[in-house]
Amino acid sequence: MIFLPILAGLALLLFPVGKSGSRLTGFIVSVIIFMIGIEIFLDFKGSGTMEYSVNRPWIDSLGINYSLGIDGISLLVLLACSLLFPLIFAIYSGRTKGYYANLLIAQGAMLGAICATDIVLFYIFWEIMLLPIFFMIGLWGGEKRLAATLKITIYTIAGSLLMLAALVYVGVSYHSQFGAWSFNIADLRNLDLSGGFAVTAFIMFMLAFAIKIPLFPFHTWLPDAYTEAPTSTTFVLSAIMAKIGVYAVIRFVIPVFEIEFARFALLLSLAGVVGMMYCGLAAITQKDFKRLLAFSSASHMGIIALGVFCMNLQALTGSLFQIVAHATSTGILFVFAGLIEERMQTRNIADLGGIAYRAPIFATFFAIAMLASVGLPGTSGFIGEFLIILGAVKFNTFIGFLAGTALIIGVCYMLWMFQRIFFEKSNSKTERFKDLSFLETVTFLPVILLILFMGIYPQPFLQKIEPAARIHIAAFTTITTTETVAETVVPIQEHDTHHKN
Amino acid sequence: MNDFLSLLPLLIICSGGIVLMLLSVLETMNTETASYVSLGFFGIAFFVQFLIVCFPESELFATTFHSMLMANSFSRVAGLVILGAGFFTAMNCHTYFQQNKVCTVEFYSLLLFAGCGMILLTLARELITAFISLEIMSLAIYILVGYDRERVTSTEALLKYLILGAFAGAFFTMGTALVYGAAGSTGFVEISNYISANSASTPLLVGGAFFILVAFLFKVAAFPFHAWVIDVYDGAATPVTGFMATALKAAVFTVFVNFLTINGALQKEWITFLFYIALFTMFGGNLIAIGQSNIKRMLAASGIVHSGYLLIGLIAISTGSFTGSVIVYYLAAYAAGTLGIFAALSYLGGKNESRISFDDFKGLAKVRPYSAAAISIFLLSMAGIPPTAGFMGKFYIITSAIAEGQIALAVFGVISSILSMWYYLRLIICMYFNDAEDSFEIEKSPFAPACTFILAICVFAIGLYPIVI
Repeated sequence: MIFLPILAGLALLLFPVGKSGSRLTGFIVSVIIFMIGIEIFLDFKGSGTMEYSVNRPWIDSLGINYSLGIDGISLLVLLACSLLFPLIFAIYSGRTKGYYANLLIAQGAMLGAICATDIVLFYIFWEIMLLPIFFMIGLWGGEKRLAATLKITIYTIAGSLLMLAALVYVGVSYHSQFGAWSFNIADLRNLDLSGGFAVTAFIMFMLAFAIKIPLFPFHTWLPDAYTEAPTSTTFVLSAIMAKIGVYAVIRFVIPVFEIEFARFALLLSLAGVVGMMYCGLAAITQKDFKRLLAFSSASHMGIIALGVFCMNLQALTGSLFQIVAHATSTGILFVFAGLIEERMQTRNIADLGGIAYRAPIFATFFAIAMLASVGLPGTSGFIGEFLIILGAVKFNTFIGFLAGTALIIGVCYMLWMFQRIFFEKSNSKTERFKDLSFLETVTFLPVILLILFMGIYPQPFLQKIEPAARIHIAAFTTITTTETVAETVVPIQEHDTHHKN
Repeated sequence: MNDFLSLLPLLIICSGGIVLMLLSVLETMNTETASYVSLGFFGIAFFVQFLIVCFPESELFATTFHSMLMANSFSRVAGLVILGAGFFTAMNCHTYFQQNKVCTVEFYSLLLFAGCGMILLTLARELITAFISLEIMSLAIYILVGYDRERVTSTEALLKYLILGAFAGAFFTMGTALVYGAAGSTGFVEISNYISANSASTPLLVGGAFFILVAFLFKVAAFPFHAWVIDVYDGAATPVTGFMATALKAAVFTVFVNFLTINGALQKEWITFLFYIALFTMFGGNLIAIGQSNIKRMLAASGIVHSGYLLIGLIAISTGSFTGSVIVYYLAAYAAGTLGIFAALSYLGGKNESRISFDDFKGLAKVRPYSAAAISIFLLSMAGIPPTAGFMGKFYIITSAIAEGQIALAVFGVISSILSMWYYLRLIICMYFNDAEDSFEIEKSPFAPACTFILAICVFAIGLYPIVI
């Protein structure tokens, strides 16, 4: 599953294939991956342990294994990653084959990073992931692409190289405590780290992931990169890559550095909230809608990160759920933004208006995705955000309150943008705006339906996440209540349906 | 018999050098044939060395020639790196000298002699032997550096290298004399016995070891003896620079490790000194490299940085879980990447090395996508991005440093590689994100491109299967 896209991507690079041929290859490969992803999701037992694990020795002398596995934490990220790629290949035409090849390699590396349970293996995929992004922004980006490319590359590489040092430190401490080499996360869990350098190592890890997420104040690369990148790259960055940052915190930081994590949780969650507020306010002032979406995405990553830092079951489950919800809603918003840009040749909000009269289907889809993004009940965004806020209030009332306020900011800029683009007076340009073609409607429909489905009936997703989340949380608190998250949500659900009626 | 087997590669290339020297008087002998002959000798020697490395059950010899030479697993792999570097350099030279016709038959003979000195250096177990092999190697390299007499930069490089190198040689002999004065012998075993009986901090021994270390540090271009390296690398013919950057460094580091580890006390004595040397080497090298606009000079400066990483490995060497294998692995990984870049430069450089600055390579990816991809692979390997050999090398170095408690050094190493990202990425950006101004026409010769291709595969192979070492 991991190597299929990578190999296909490399093959595309090496052999002369036409544009449409390479796009078709990409599409077919990503559909196969999608099928596998769906099958894994349906087949997944939700036992809380690793399933589908593979373990082969790789570098014996250091105990580095090629080991993969999927549990409730990685399942939904994996699903998002396999779900969204066929969409990219279906919608975007006109790029050269190198672009499609890079997309495939990026997907392969991301799948690898999501599945890896050996921390060195994870690091390797994590680094490979960046290379296609580097080329995609640098070669196919907008006007200021060079600066954006350098910014994102140097930022992320600085973070990940520091992580490398910390990672080695963890491995070496394991060796000195247990007398054997291992970089497997299941073994590292038993590690008892203490002392001054444990904190440093923890900070190094967090720094790498905070840059990738991006967490305030390490978000400065994001607006440039998201705006300058071709839309499908922005899509990959925001919908999937940022999520892998959050995922990695849950997977690798929490089990290894429980004590340090608990010590810094308040600070980190504050960073999350401040990021939400700051990026939300920045989004209001933007004139360029792609940049607005970039800030909005950063703001929403803040709440997902907050969910992780609250260290309780509700918030963590909410975060994991929100990962998929946000991937689908923001991802598709970026796709729509790219569509408007392509048809109108502008990214300026002021130049647009009245599109809803010309393109009702498009406006409806956009509205659903947007509402999901701001967390309206009935959409996928609501479940995740509600759970996170619930967890946040439990963790610290003040932070919960701030997070709730920040969400309102989100509603402000989103609705205002929607009003300016889709309503108000149309001008000569928007008069000619074409609605979605039949093919486009069919491509987007499943995602829109998924957003609604996840909002109305989230239980199948929550049930699969929960056991694994429970195990991760167990490190901090012993969960005394037997109530499950799925049950918490049911009453709201009923309330929600009333509301609709 | 085993002794003979272990020495066989050395004998092969030594006789190769002599044969070529004799053949050069023949009228019918031209440089092309000479390059094939040298390729043959390097190839056979490499193959034999490879068999020796693969079948380690053949007994290592501890003492030959009155314990003047010793082959351990470390020197064997280092020998493999050197012979491989020699082989690929001969390939590059073949292409390079089709564009720059300054070569004579003796060139290849000198290449073989240089390789011979290097192999001998890796085996040396005695200071005088080390000195002799150091000089065999250096003399051949001096001539190779100054081979293009028409070019001013080449002659300048020769003079700089020769004069400073002579100083280093003098330091080495001075150090040897002092050590002999202390220990009463120049053999490593006797020196070790002396240290165990007394201590590593007797004044004579400290002075002697200091001078010897200075000579080694000069040869690997460590701070503060790095100033020569930029001009010399720039002035020498591209394949020769590649040879110097890889094989010479491998040989000197091998004997460096062998010398430093003769006794644990000696290594402990010098750890603090080497700590600061490594630190300044990494950051000094980075500062120099960031400012360069010429690729060869940039690579020279990045070679300084890599020497710094290798010094980290040297400091972290211990009797425990990490031995010289970390260093020799890094050497192999570094050699694959560096040789690859120099191979690409050999055929892309054009007549009189006209294409050599960053700007000259603008838009290479549009015209020659495969070459650009190969160069990118080598650069990424040198920058330490997985899954290349360079990453694994760096990973081992950092692991060994942390395992030995040198956490600060490991962190500095990481920071230094963040800095080095800048100039490696800059070349990739030049190649990919600009439009081509040049048509990149080159002489048709299959050798250097083939070499680039093989090494690009090697970079991944060494990175993905690091078990070989």
